[in-house]
Amino acid sequence: MSEQQNYEPKIVAFLCKWCSSAGSDLAGVSRIQYPANATPITVPCTGAISPMYILSAFNKGADGVLVSGCHIGDCHYIEGNYLARRKMHLIMQLIEFIGVEPNRFRMSWVSAAEGAKFAQVVTNFVDDLKPLGPQDKLKKAERA
Amino acid sequence: MINIQDIRDTARDMLTKGEVRTVIGYRRGSRGMLAEPVFITDPAQADDLVWDPTCFHNLSLYLVHDRKFLTHIRQNPGVPVAIVAKGCDARSIVVLLQEHYFKREDIYIIGVSCEGTGVVDERKLSSQLNGFQASNAAFDGDDFVFTTAEGEKRLPAREVMADRCLECRVPFPKEHNVVFGEDKTGRQLEAPFAALTRFEAQGTAERWSFWQNHFDRCIRCFACRSVCPMCYCEECVVDSITFPVTTETTAEDKANRIRWIERSATRSENITYLMTRAMHLAGRCTDCGECERACPVNVPIRLLNNKMEREAREQFGFEPGASIGGPSLVASFLDNDPGQFIR
Repeated sequence: MSEQQNYEPKIVAFLCKWCSSAGSDLAGVSRIQYPANATPITVPCTGAISPMYILSAFNKGADGVLVSGCHIGDCHYIEGNYLARRKMHLIMQLIEFIGVEPNRFRMSWVSAAEGAKFAQVVTNFVDDLKPLGPQDKLKKAERA
Repeated sequence: MINIQDIRDTARDMLTKGEVRTVIGYRRGSRGMLAEPVFITDPAQADDLVWDPTCFHNLSLYLVHDRKFLTHIRQNPGVPVAIVAKGCDARSIVVLLQEHYFKREDIYIIGVSCEGTGVVDERKLSSQLNGFQASNAAFDGDDFVFTTAEGEKRLPAREVMADRCLECRVPFPKEHNVVFGEDKTGRQLEAPFAALTRFEAQGTAERWSFWQNHFDRCIRCFACRSVCPMCYCEECVVDSITFPVTTETTAEDKANRIRWIERSATRSENITYLMTRAMHLAGRCTDCGECERACPVNVPIRLLNNKMEREAREQFGFEPGASIGGPSLVASFLDNDPGQFIR
């Protein structure tokens, strides 16, 4: 168990360029301490995230996938995050359905002004992922 | 009861008058009792048409093939195609119409109601006939009657019926030009999603061990994709046909190509393939069960699609194949969509 507590999970974070991406920058320039486990990938909008990105991230070895975008009503493209909410709900249900721990996928709304919230989201996510250990259910087998 | 002569007469009439160019229907196949798809252009052949419990194919697939062929030869005959469609097939056609895959006037739907029964599941049936091959199958009220070398064998339909038919909510083709048989909507023999609910009652670990076993067995023959009327994409994410390998393609090029899903039949890739397929079919799959029937290794693909169908229905109030004019599931939203999972 202690070994698992020391495990540093790899997180792939899909961040909307208009909000969460700026939010993570704000966390940085505000010098808020948070775990360095998340690899950010900036996307134009959460609505542009295909559920396949999430499956692909798990497939390529992510221990957790974070999707973060603008609060409902604040989308730069008016309705992108509404569409994302639906798609992410579906993929989350599907991942859970086949027996992957639901805590491996997370979605949050983080605006450009919420640097502290971004740090909190990542911290909580890492805390939840540590006890789960490495994700090897969807991960591609290493080539021999 | 549907009188098959009615369907034949309709087909013959329309072909003679030139109102349709082809009738897509079922005829007696060359393998025992099983029906097979048939494409009739000559009115004299209309008598080949059959309607029995083995007509399980979803013929709307051939409308897709037809559309692709016409696009390829760049012709528009301007005469519709007639198709024999059950409830689930008609819903598939509605989804295709909703996606503007073809126009309503290009299709003439000869609806057939599944009435008190549904269609047979070959695998269930084979264990019931004591090793005998049936040469004929017929509907009779709530039973199926099979003719074998041993004589007639009557089986209650629900014992040999396809799983999807047990749970079918709408065994009647709502969208049709002409329809045969009674509308027995609401005759469900099992609650909708009963099998899914039973499966979901298990814990995460049991679910994973179940799926792990099935995902390991998938051989990636893509039969599920070939048989699905909704899998009409010119290029599937699994293939990268827009990046052909030529003599000039360098090793670096090949290595740097985006490959969302490898073609190798390993567990991780099978999962990604089957889950991606389930996502692409969310809100489009009408539960015709063809993928699961075509699967040579019996992967319960329907369960994944069923899960998406139920989420769509319960969380978003979305019913695939309900209306031609409606929006699609993932291209629309409601203000009160569930969002509690978002932090």
